[in-house]
Amino acid sequence: MHCTIEDLVALRDGEGSVWARRHVEECAECQAERERLYQRVAQLKALPALRPPRDRWSAIRDTVQAGRSRRRQRWVRGGLAVAAAIVGIIIIGPINPTPALGENLAQAKQQSAQLETTLRDYDSDSRVMSGREADLTAQLEDQIAVLDGQLARLGDSARADAQLVDLWRQRVDLMQQLLQVHVTRAKYVGL
Amino acid sequence: MTLSLSVPDILVARAKTGDLEALEALYRAFETPVYNLARRICRAPEDAEDVLQETFLEVVKSIKQYRGEGHLWGWIRQIAASKALMRLRSDKLRATDELVDEAAGAPPISVAAGIDLERAFEQLSETSRAVVWLHDVEGFTHEEIAERMGRTVSFSKSQLARAHARLRRLLSPAVAGG
Repeated sequence: MHCTIEDLVALRDGEGSVWARRHVEECAECQAERERLYQRVAQLKALPALRPPRDRWSAIRDTVQAGRSRRRQRWVRGGLAVAAAIVGIIIIGPINPTPALGENLAQAKQQSAQLETTLRDYDSDSRVMSGREADLTAQLEDQIAVLDGQLARLGDSARADAQLVDLWRQRVDLMQQLLQVHVTRAKYVGL
Repeated sequence: MTLSLSVPDILVARAKTGDLEALEALYRAFETPVYNLARRICRAPEDAEDVLQETFLEVVKSIKQYRGEGHLWGWIRQIAASKALMRLRSDKLRATDELVDEAAGAPPISVAAGIDLERAFEQLSETSRAVVWLHDVEGFTHEEIAERMGRTVSFSKSQLARAHARLRRLLSPAVAGG
């Protein structure tokens, strides 16, 4: 039994079984086969280089230049769009926040003020409350206090942004909940 | 195949800036080894030319990523091998390749007269040619070949052994078996 081509290729690549390695050392036929394998690979390496039949550089250069041209056009178009936007801002002025925001802010502030007035009319401090009502009232008042702190930090900005409107709306919501606690209690005790 | 593949560092530096003259100089320095590698793998010369073009478009695009670690030819050769093997992986070529592999068991008529190594090599399937050339001539490992072919290491090894067995038969028609 002799080595197969698989055995010889594996041995050449530093692999192969122990049996194959020992066999090749002892078998003249397999040594000759191994030598033919080495010769074949050496001849493959020595084959003359095949040269490209045509010059492909002009096609490569044209593709590269076309790509660069497209990128430049994109930059120019992008640059023009940015420039137009800058000119628009300079001429027309900064884009105002959506007019609806300003209206919403004014509306929220007005609702808040009305709820404040209604709550004062209830004169809650002089009324008797259950422990649960007192706890709920305290929680709502604490949350309103936190919101008032946030509103104070933002300041009474003339510009209505979404955050400011959102905070005022939260305040209105909390005050409605607070008013509801007082209204429910008043109905319950018949005051 | 003896070619001078060394290029000055300044040329590579200029190519990295997108200098077309420097990129052309790189093309001139490496067009033959790239085409040779592609042509040894691809059966059709037009396919090898396409691989040459795709390789250098990739070189132009990615030359900035070449960090100078190892020879530039090693880097370009990796690209060329990937492009050539990608071409082999297309469905059309794979179908052709399978037909050639099926025919591999039956020696062609020319065997009777005996043929030289170059002609024998051309008679291998494209997959076998790719494995033999990349492993035995270009020095790729089976792991590298398998990764680029999307196959297993054992596939690469068995293709190499099969290819050598067939070359042996083609070159020595009087010797039976492998």
